[in-house]
Amino acid sequence: MKPRERFIAAIKRQETDRVPRFNRYVGAVKQKMAPIFGVDPNEFEIKQGNDGVLIQIGINGEYSHRLVGEGETYTSEWGVKYQGIHGFNQPVEHPLKTAELGGYKFPDPNKPERMDAIRAAMKQYHQDYAVMVDLSCTLFEAGFHLRGMENFVMDAYENEQFVMDVIDGLSNYYEKIGNRAIQEGIDVIRIGDDVGVQTGLIMPPDKWRQLVKPYLKRMIASFKQTNPDIIVKYHSCGDFSTIIPDVIEMGVELIGSMQPCGALADPFKIKEEFGDKVAFLGGLDVQQLLPNGSPQDVREGVKKVLKAYASGGGYVWMPAHYVNVDVPLENIWAMLEAVKEYGNFPINID
Amino acid sequence: MELLSRLADSVEQGQSDNAKDFTQQCLDQGMEPNNVLLEGLMAGLNVIGGRFKRNECYIPEVLLAAKAMHQGLEILRPLLSDADAQSLGKVVLGTVEGDVHDIGKNILGMMLEGSGFEVIDVGVNTGADKFIETLQQEKAPILALSALLSTTMPALKKTIEALATAGMRDTVKVMVGGAPVTQEYADKIGADGYAVDAATAVDVAKSFL
Ligand code: B12
Repeated sequence: MKPRERFIAAIKRQETDRVPRFNRYVGAVKQKMAPIFGVDPNEFEIKQGNDGVLIQIGINGEYSHRLVGEGETYTSEWGVKYQGIHGFNQPVEHPLKTAELGGYKFPDPNKPERMDAIRAAMKQYHQDYAVMVDLSCTLFEAGFHLRGMENFVMDAYENEQFVMDVIDGLSNYYEKIGNRAIQEGIDVIRIGDDVGVQTGLIMPPDKWRQLVKPYLKRMIASFKQTNPDIIVKYHSCGDFSTIIPDVIEMGVELIGSMQPCGALADPFKIKEEFGDKVAFLGGLDVQQLLPNGSPQDVREGVKKVLKAYASGGGYVWMPAHYVNVDVPLENIWAMLEAVKEYGNFPINID
Repeated sequence: MELLSRLADSVEQGQSDNAKDFTQQCLDQGMEPNNVLLEGLMAGLNVIGGRFKRNECYIPEVLLAAKAMHQGLEILRPLLSDADAQSLGKVVLGTVEGDVHDIGKNILGMMLEGSGFEVIDVGVNTGADKFIETLQQEKAPILALSALLSTTMPALKKTIEALATAGMRDTVKVMVGGAPVTQEYADKIGADGYAVDAATAVDVAKSFL
C-alpha cells in the first residue's frame, strides 16, 4: 500500500496495515539525525518513515523558514518586521499600529511564484506520498503578526469591526492561495490558528464564533467548491476542545495537534466524543514527556496515544508539535520504535 | 464608597474610559489618592486576577483590566505621596534566553503591579547577565523568570546558577513559571518559588517578603 493511500484512509477513519506517520522535526534536529540515517536533511522526514510531506505557504511559511542572523532584522511583504532570536524569527514591529486598516494592502495572492514549492513537492512526492499544504497562522493568529498579539486580542473586545476587517482581508488572501494550491492537486489543506492555551481558548468561544468562524466557514466552503474531495485539516495548539464541534460542522476531517492539556489531556474521552466524526493527528506530550521522560516513559506515552486515538482508525501519528532540540536521541528512537511496534492494525495494546 | 466600588468594577470589566472618569471623580470628592489606588484600582484588578486563576475569564479580559487600571493610575501617580508610593518591593521580571513568549510574563507583571509591587520588566530573550545587572542596579530582592518552551527551561537553571556565581543567591528570591514548568522542576533547580498562574504567583512573591 502506498503511503498516500494509507494517509488518506486514516483520515477517512479506516484501518489499514499500520498507522500513517507525520513526524516533524526542527531544522537542528534534522541536521543531527540525517547523518545517522545517511540521508539529506531535507529528505530526512520522509526517509525516517513519514507517509506525507508538508509545504507551508503564507505568513508562517515565509517567516518561519527564512534564515535571519542573530539580532538581525528584516521586513516581510506583510510589512511585519522580524528579528532573528536563537534561530526563531520574532515579530518586533507590526504594520497596524492602531485599530484601523487605513490603507493597509494585503500581499497579492496571485503571484506566480507562490506555487513553486508546491509544484516541486507534487512532482517529487505525490506519486507515492500525501501532500499537505499548510496555510497556518491563517486568520486570528495572523492578526497577531499584523497588529501584535496583545493588541489584537484586546481589539476583539474594543474594536470588533476592525478585527473582522482584518480577518476578512486575511481570509480573502488565504482563500485565493489555498484554492490555487488545491488546483495543483494536493491531498490536504491545513488551516492553522493557535487559539488555545494550556487551560482552554484564548478568548470566549462565542467571540471566536462571532469574529472568526464565519470567515473560516466561507474559506472552507470555497475550498470544497474547488475540489469536493479536498481534505481540510484544522490545527490549533493548546486546548481548543470547546470549538471542536464547530470545526467539524464546517467540514474539517482532520484535527491536531491534540496537545494533551486542559480537556485534551484525556485522549480516550476526546476520541469517544468526536472519533466518529473526525480524525486526529498529534497527541504526544512535547512539553514534559518527550524531552524529559525516560525512553520507557516515552514508550508508554506512545502506547497511550495510539491506544486512544488509533484504535479503529482515524489517526495519523505525530507528537503534539515539532521534535525539538531538547529531545534526547534515545527518546527519539524510543518513540520511533514504539510507533513501529504498536502502530499496527488491529491496535492491540493493554 | 459607592464610587470606589464603581471604580473597581470598571477596572474589573476593562472599561478604560470609566476607570479614568471614576478615578477623577473620586479625587474631586476629596478622597485620599492612596485609598483610590488600593480600594478602587487594585481591588478591581484583584477580582479579575482571582477569576482568571479559577478559569472564569479569558486572557484579553485580564489585559483590558490592566489597561483600565493604568488609565486611572496615570491620574493618581503625580498625587501619591512618597510614603503612599512605597511599594511592597521590587521584582525583576523577564522571559529567559531563547524564548520570546511574553503574554504570561506580562500578565504576571500586571498582577504584581496591581498588588503593590514595583515591577522592572526586562523583556523577552533575556540572558542571565542582563538579569543580574538589573537586579544589582535596582537592588531588587525578587527575580521572576518565565519560560514557555521545554527547550528554554534549562535557561531557568542557568540563570539561578549564574546568580550563585555572582554571589547573589542568598539575597535574591527566585520564582519560576510558564506553561511547561512544574513545581517538581522548580524544586529540582533550586528555585525559591513556583506558581501555575499569575494570581498564585503574587501570593508566592508576598511570601518572600
Ligand atoms: C502564543 C504562542 C506563541 C507566540 C508567542 C507570542 C507572544 N507574544 O507571547 C509565538 C507565535 C511567537 C510562538 C512561537 C513559538 N512557539 Co509558541 N505558543 C504559544 C501558545 C499558543 C500560547 C502561549 C500563551 O501566550 N499562553 C497564555 C499565557 C497567559 O499563559 P502562560 O504563558 O503559560 O503564563 C501563565 C502561567 O504559566 C504563569 N506564568 C508564566 N510565566 C511565569 C513566571 C513566573 C515566575 C510564575 C510564577 C508564573 C508564570 O502565569 C501566566 C498567567 O496565569 C502556546 C500553547 C500553550 N499550550 O501554551 C505555544 C507553545 C508554548 N509554543 C510552542 C512552540 C514549539 C513555539 C515555537 C518553537 C514554534 C516555532 N517553531 O515557530 C516558537 C518559539 C519561539 C521562541 N523562540 O520563543 C510549544 C512549546 C512546546 C515545548 N516543547 O515546550 C507550545 C506549548 C505549543 C505546542 N503545541 O506545543 N508561540
